[in-house]
Parts: sequence; structure tokens; C-alpha cells
Amino acid sequence: MKQILRLVVKEYRLFIADKVALGLTFIVPVILTAIFGAVFGGTSAGPRGIRLAFVNESSSPIATSIEEALDTTKAVRLLKTFRGENTIEQKFDSLSAKEYVQKGSASAALIIPADIFSDTSLGLKVKFFYDPKNDIEMQMLKGIVQRTMYSQLGNLFPQMMQKQTEKFLGADSGGLFNREMALLISEYFEVDTNLILHPNLMAWRDSSETTSDRPDFFADLIRIDETQLVGQKVTNPWATRSVGGWAMMFLLFTLTGSATSLFDEKKSGVVLRLLASPISRIQILWSKYLFNVSLGVVQLVFLFIVGWLMFDINVFPNFFNLLLIITAAAIACTAFGMMLAAFCRTTQQASGWGTLLILSMSSIGGAWFPVSFMPEYIQFFSKLTIIYWSMDGFLEVLWRGVGILSILPNIGILLGIAALVNVVSVIQFKKGHVF
Amino acid sequence: MIQIKNITKSFPSVVALNDVSLEIQDRSFYGLLGPNGAGKTTMMNLLIGYLQPDKGELLIGGQKQTPENLNLRKNIGFVPQTIALYDDVSAQTNLEIFGSFFDIKTNILKERIDEQLNAVGLFERRKDLVKTYSGGMKRRLNIAASMLHNPEYLLCDEPTVGVDPQSRNAIFDLLQKLNSEGKTIIYTTHYMEEAERLCDKIAIIDSGKIIAEGTLGELVEKLPYDEAIIITKNKQTIQHRNSLNDFGVILDHDDHFELKPNNGIPLSKFFEKIEHLGIGYQSVELHKPTLEALFLHLTGRTLRD
Repeated sequence: MKQILRLVVKEYRLFIADKVALGLTFIVPVILTAIFGAVFGGTSAGPRGIRLAFVNESSSPIATSIEEALDTTKAVRLLKTFRGENTIEQKFDSLSAKEYVQKGSASAALIIPADIFSDTSLGLKVKFFYDPKNDIEMQMLKGIVQRTMYSQLGNLFPQMMQKQTEKFLGADSGGLFNREMALLISEYFEVDTNLILHPNLMAWRDSSETTSDRPDFFADLIRIDETQLVGQKVTNPWATRSVGGWAMMFLLFTLTGSATSLFDEKKSGVVLRLLASPISRIQILWSKYLFNVSLGVVQLVFLFIVGWLMFDINVFPNFFNLLLIITAAAIACTAFGMMLAAFCRTTQQASGWGTLLILSMSSIGGAWFPVSFMPEYIQFFSKLTIIYWSMDGFLEVLWRGVGILSILPNIGILLGIAALVNVVSVIQFKKGHVF
Repeated sequence: MIQIKNITKSFPSVVALNDVSLEIQDRSFYGLLGPNGAGKTTMMNLLIGYLQPDKGELLIGGQKQTPENLNLRKNIGFVPQTIALYDDVSAQTNLEIFGSFFDIKTNILKERIDEQLNAVGLFERRKDLVKTYSGGMKRRLNIAASMLHNPEYLLCDEPTVGVDPQSRNAIFDLLQKLNSEGKTIIYTTHYMEEAERLCDKIAIIDSGKIIAEGTLGELVEKLPYDEAIIITKNKQTIQHRNSLNDFGVILDHDDHFELKPNNGIPLSKFFEKIEHLGIGYQSVELHKPTLEALFLHLTGRTLRD
């Protein structure tokens, strides 16, 4: 037994000495748990700041009430103005809000028309223009809009009933009926008749009330005219949305493994043999870089073509622009792999750090779930990841079918990240523990 | 000719080479003998241009060796201490890869690859993956990969580490053949037997300094005695080893003791003692002193300390 215990102690001593194993065992799970916890549970659960362009053309207090309720919902970032071409802040109108969604600056637009009541026999009517490139996010957003509107029903119901009565009995008879009904209700329920006849004038703010347990009857009271503005021609929305994120994650793993092959070559003496040939250090680095970029491009193209074959993803209509964003993504991912090779000292170290960083980047970059599901401070870090900008670029190209000008910011940011990371890597390589 | 002029190379924690100067003639088989950590590999890394000296200069065939002088490397073959090959591809593929960096025409490279595979006795197994080779076969391929561009200078950094005696002999034969064909070979080792067998000139290096240089004959002449006493190891000699300490310093080799006699001790006294201990004369012979004895004489330590 003593020997077994000694062997157990030996195992622990070796385990503790292996910092990578230690990190993978404890730090990676903690980080991923924290990210998932922030998304799916805990105090900051739910989405944060989904961008919703908002136009209120109505002067009705109910419209104001909906606007205020949405304004205080953390899940939604209500955008009422935008910067026009002359960079002057302008209020959205119906047209500009739709354009804003079409170009991807907001996930949806909610228009409350001036005739919120007039052209409907019963209930409210609003217009909802959306871009379902992120399906989960859009479902959440629709739910939030509906919930907010239903929360106003308690106050709205008497007013709508009176309108219906006046419509069928005529203004005079209907008005008389309404007043008598109000007196009757007032008598039995001890409620001020003004509250029944003129609810708009009263303090009826009760937007915190949820409507989850309201009967379906009320569903007819609100009409949301939905219009999908983008991606109508996408044949397989789910696959189109998700293939980019997963492809990027695997690309990062591939390229990290490939870049860190430098360690194996160094350990075996191959690097020394190469440097004893008419080959310089910088040529070795460039060869690794070019190989990895080309491998990355081939891998991503392969995955998208598999996506086309298996899931009918529309890869080819905008293939050139897809290729551009793929190339930029591969360059950035390669830079990431080379940075790991520059900073780590062994394959094991690089593998450990690589796993940690890739899984973290994938989760916060939007490969696994929408970025908007994360707390706002994490959303800030999302925009520092290669995955975020690559996925955004893929969606722009595949979903929105945009041209080169629209993906230039993505390409620029990816190449900028690559350049920055490469400078840091070259400085580190010059310190010389790899060569 | 290789000229090493006042080379100093330091690393953060150690001065690896300290003002070293050597001249190595063309077509020679030059040995750099020293214990582990003496500075042999640093010297090799400077000679191939992998490292830059802090002071001094290296001239190979009249050209200055620097990390930037890539052209000079076309005339240098390097056999690393490790087996610097790709394990997951065949011997032929390895040679095609490493040969491709020297601007050799495809058909000529193909001929060279066949030549080298034949020279190291691996032609029949050229299509097998390297990972299926024995240690000795890998070592031979390691040399073949350094000869594809037919270099004038071949730098071998302990090329027989971990090799069985049979493969070691095969490697020695190969290197001696290359030397006889006109290649200049620089060979580092901490095995004095290798240096004695192969090298026509030897520099002994210790703690970054050359402590002796010359032919084997010139080096052993530095010892204050002409002959060492070799005592074959057996039960009796091992038992009485310490009884012979009065006659000199005893070096422990694999199969024998080497007695480095103290000055002024007459051999007759030694043989009387042997007889008295009951050690047969057949266990004792007189021999030329070894480089091990010289190293001990110069440093107070053995090569394997």
C-alpha cells in the first residue's frame, strides 16, 4: 500500500510540475464555465444590447408607453437616431430604419405607425423589419417586442373595447353604451368612470407586468407585420449561420498545430539542419506562414464546399468575396499560430495555451452562440477576436450577399490584427529561443 | 582551409568559447575532443553559421562565415548531434527534401540520392518510413542527408551518439572513405577512442578553451611518460586495483585499467607487486598512453566526468 501511495504522490508531483496539464485541468474549465454561466445563467443572464432601430410615428400614449418599456429593457439597445452621410445625427424614419437593417447596422427595425389604431378593427398594429442572420438572437428579439407590447394590454383593453362598440353601434349609440357600461362597472367595482372611459389620461404605467400567462385571446389584439429584409434567398439559414464559426474554430486548431511544428523540428535538429543549408531564419518563418495561410484557405474553402454539398449553402453566388474574407481570416489565424510558436517553449505549452485561447475566442467571438447573449463587457472583448470579424465577414458575404466594399472593414481589421500579432511575434522570435 | 581566429562566444550563463584559435587544413580529418559542455557544439554552430561569434572571425575556404552568408553553406555539410530527419516519411523523401535546398538539378539530385543511399547501405530500404529504421540506420541516413550537395567540408557533431558498435564502425568506414576522397572532416566527440582512430589532428577542448592540439603522437608526447600500463579487467585485477595506487593514477576504462605511472617508479617494482598479488603477466601489457590520460594530465579530470 505504501508503494501505491508513493506512486500516487509521484503522479501528483509530476502533474503539478506540468503547468500545461495543470492549466488545462483547472483554468480552461473555469474560463469556459464563466463564459457559459454569463450567457445562460447567473445575474447577467440573457442577451444584452440587441440593436433595434426604432421609429415612433404615433402620438398615442400607448406608443410612448411601448417605447419607454423597450428603452428600459437591457436586452435591447433602442436606436432612434443615426448618423447620415453628412455625419449629422438624424432621427430614423421608416425608410432609413429599414436601410439600417439591410446594411447590417441593426438586427431589426420596429416601426410604430401613426395609425397605430385606425386601420385595425381590434388592437394595435406595428411593423417589424428584421434580418434573421442570427436566428436565436432574432427569436429572442421578437419575443421581447411581443412581451413589451402585451404588457400594455391591461391598460389598452377597455379603450379598444370602446372603439369596437362605437364602430358597430355608431358614435352616438356607442358612446351612450360605453358611458352606461362605465357607470355600471364603476358601481360594482368601485372604479372611477374616468379610468374606464379615458384610460390614456390616467396613470396606467404597468409595463413591468409580464404577459406569459395571458390567454391566447389577447394574441389577436396585437398585430405585428413582420418583413424579412435580408437573407430571403438563403436556402439553409441555420447551416449558413453556423458553418463559419465552426470552420474558424477548427482552422485555429489546425494552424496552431502546424505553426508549433517548429518545436518538433527544433527538437529533432531539423531546424539546425535547415539553417546549415542556404536558408535563413526569416525564410523558414515565411515558409511556415505561407504554408499555413494556404492550408487555412484550402481548409476553409473545403469546409464551405462541404457545406454547399451537404447543406445547400449558397457559396458560389458571391464566391470571390467569400474567398477574400477566407484569405484574410486564414492570414489572421496563421498570425495567431505563429504568435503561440514565438511565445511558447514547447509543443505541450503551445498546445495548452492554444486550446485555452481558441476555446475562449470561439465562445466569446460568437462561434457557439450569439455575441449579444453575453454581458456587455464580454461583448467588448468579442470584437478583439479573429473569430468575431471572420464570422461577421462570412455572414455579410453569404447572408447579405454584399460586395467587396462592405467587407473591407472586416478584411482590414483581420489584416490589422495579423500585422500587429506578427510584429509582436517577430520581436519575440528575434529573442531567439525557437531558433 | 578553415581558420578560427580568436573566437569568443558567450551565453547568458556561460562563456562557451573563450578566445579560441585553430587552423584546419583542407582534406584533413580534424577531431575536436572534449567532455560534455566543453564548447564543441557551440564551435560547430559557429562553423555552420547558426551562431554569430561575440569576438573573432571564422574563415572557411577564405570566406567569412556569418549567419547571413548563405552561399558559403553550399560548400558545407553538417551532421547534427540529433537525428535531424522527418520520421513519418521515407528515406528517399527525406533526401529529396533536404537536397532541394541546394539548387541541384532534379536529375543530378536523383543520382546523388541514389549514390548516398548506396554509400550508407540503405538503398534497398529507401522507400521505408524512417521511423521503422534502427538507430544505426537513422544515423547513417543523417550523414547521407548532409552529403547530397557534395560539400567540401563535412562537420560532424558527435554523429555516433547512442549507436551500437557495428553501426559505429560502419559510420567510421563511411567517414574515412569520404576523407580519402578529399573531404575535409571536422569531427567532435567525447570518446577518445573515436578521435584516436579517425583523426589525423586533434584539438582537446575544455571549458571553452583549447588546452592541447596536434597529431595523436604530438599530443601523447606531452605526457611525462612514454608508456602506459594496461591491465585487463578480471576478478583478480578488480580485487587488487587499489593496491596499485602507489604506482600512479589508474584510469578506469570499459574493459581495462590504464595505469599512468608516477615519475621515477621503476617498472621492475611494479612487476614484483603484480607477481606478489598473484596477477598473471598475461593481464598486463605496455601501451602508448591514451588521450584520456593526456586529458587527465592536463585537467585533473577524465573526459567523462
